[in-house]
Amino acid sequence: MKLGSVKYLAGEGVKNVWVNRLMSIASIGVLVACMVIIGLAILITENVNIAVGNLEKQNVVMVYMKDYNWALYSEKEDVSSEENSSENAESSSAEEASEPERDANGISDNDYVIHNEDEAKALCKEIEKISNVEKAEFISSEEGLQAVKESMLEGQEEYFTFLDDEYGNPMSCAAKVTMKDMSLFDETLEEIGKLAGVDVIQSQSDLAETITALKQGITIAGIWIIAILLIISLVIVSNTIRVTMYNRKLEISIMKAVGATDAFIRLPFVVEGMLIGVISALIAEGLLYFCYRVATETIISTLGTSDIVKYGDVAWLLLLIFIGIGILAGVIGSVIMISKYLRREGSEFAAI
Amino acid sequence: MSNSPVIQGNDDPIIEFRGVFKTYPTGTHALEDVNIKINNGEFVFVVGSSGAGKSTFMKLIMREEKANTGKITVNGFDLTSMPRRQVPMLRRTMGIVFQDFRLIPTMNVFDNVAFAMHVVGASGKEVRREVTKALSKVGLGHKARSMPSQLSGGEQQRVGLARALVNAPDLIIADEPTGNVDPNMSYEIVSLLTEINKKGTTILMVTHDHNLVRDFNHRVIMLDSGRIVADNAGGGIV
Repeated sequence: MKLGSVKYLAGEGVKNVWVNRLMSIASIGVLVACMVIIGLAILITENVNIAVGNLEKQNVVMVYMKDYNWALYSEKEDVSSEENSSENAESSSAEEASEPERDANGISDNDYVIHNEDEAKALCKEIEKISNVEKAEFISSEEGLQAVKESMLEGQEEYFTFLDDEYGNPMSCAAKVTMKDMSLFDETLEEIGKLAGVDVIQSQSDLAETITALKQGITIAGIWIIAILLIISLVIVSNTIRVTMYNRKLEISIMKAVGATDAFIRLPFVVEGMLIGVISALIAEGLLYFCYRVATETIISTLGTSDIVKYGDVAWLLLLIFIGIGILAGVIGSVIMISKYLRREGSEFAAI
Repeated sequence: MSNSPVIQGNDDPIIEFRGVFKTYPTGTHALEDVNIKINNGEFVFVVGSSGAGKSTFMKLIMREEKANTGKITVNGFDLTSMPRRQVPMLRRTMGIVFQDFRLIPTMNVFDNVAFAMHVVGASGKEVRREVTKALSKVGLGHKARSMPSQLSGGEQQRVGLARALVNAPDLIIADEPTGNVDPNMSYEIVSLLTEINKKGTTILMVTHDHNLVRDFNHRVIMLDSGRIVADNAGGGIV
């Protein structure tokens, strides 16, 4: 097709939007509504993801270690086999023969795995090497006790003070572990549990499951909303094009009679559909910006949280999505309608 | 005017029907065993009562309909085996004049004629030159900026004729072009078509007006119940 023809046809498409302005306005209105809802679905999904991300960060796993305090407060057992399980029976019998030295509490070096802070920190590093572990922060037994005391309600703290004075610090040193992907929660715990020196792992696996389910649910709901609204957009644009087409059946019949190709006849309708889509996208972007700004200002002032997606960060992405939806709906809608008309209807001779 | 038909053109057929049958899905037998040759440069009237098969005959030539059996050749295109995508190319070799003029009411005279050129991808310069020429040929150069509603029926039909002419077709198909104009204007329109025919364009005109057929003395094909019942090709009656 020659450039002159394309220009002429594009001009005709632009004119059509104005000539059929009532229908165009109706289509733009419905398309804008669909786009705003799609935009809201995207923004809500993003915001929920941020909130869920924050929850994920709070969902830390405490990994307690087999250190001196653990040996002191737990049932005594010889843990040297954990460090070297391949020791043969001969060496075991040799150890049995030479009784290890025990301190005033009756604890020997063989009774625990983590002997000092360096070994505890080394275990933290080992934990951090696990692929799904984002961070493993070392918590000393003193810091652990302090944290427990701080978490106690007023009055309850005294019990721990008494415990501390009477028996010393009962807390083992620990690693505060955060994970990258909560859906791999159980597998990661299993890997951590296999490391030598790990005693118990305190976790909130229910919360992890809830978070994972929530994220999946939001994503699926978002996809469905967007898919349904895309189909609605397509039907709306197709309908406008259909009306335009029947209004212009005389022109189409003349075009066909004088030898216009299907592509030539189709182009003004495609341009019209695209233009309706682009105008709708621009209006939707402006409207969504206004609505979102009002909503976020209200949320910030009432809830005091500022952990909300800023419209400026997603403005271009949303505009691109809207224009994409508009153009896609315009092109597909008009191509489907006009092709159907050209194939099955529209007599050149009778202009019907 | 002479009583013997004026047969112009040469022996090179521009339209040829061989054993053509057309039955619509409703069961209507529109054409039955039609065999006809129309040579390049001829002026042919197609006559017949309503339901005789005239419209189907025209639709087959335009390839708006396909024959069930038989072979149709128009302007070198084999219409029986031609794929749909080539139909626009066939139609660019012909101009069509409709009984109801088919002018776009929102376009002025110039744009209505230019429309047919835009469709085939002509440049702006070509459009201006050829539209002006076509409007001059039909005597409407001075009405180029008028809207169709400001023209008489005869003038509107001349605009339709200019539109059919503007792409310099080899064949003009006129479907009762005088059906909506007064008798004087009918003569003017057929005179114009005759002038165009004299310059080499083949004209195929469907009409009910026996006076025109008698007075203009061209070849006449008569259809009845889907069959050709009379054809005075070469001066004789079939």
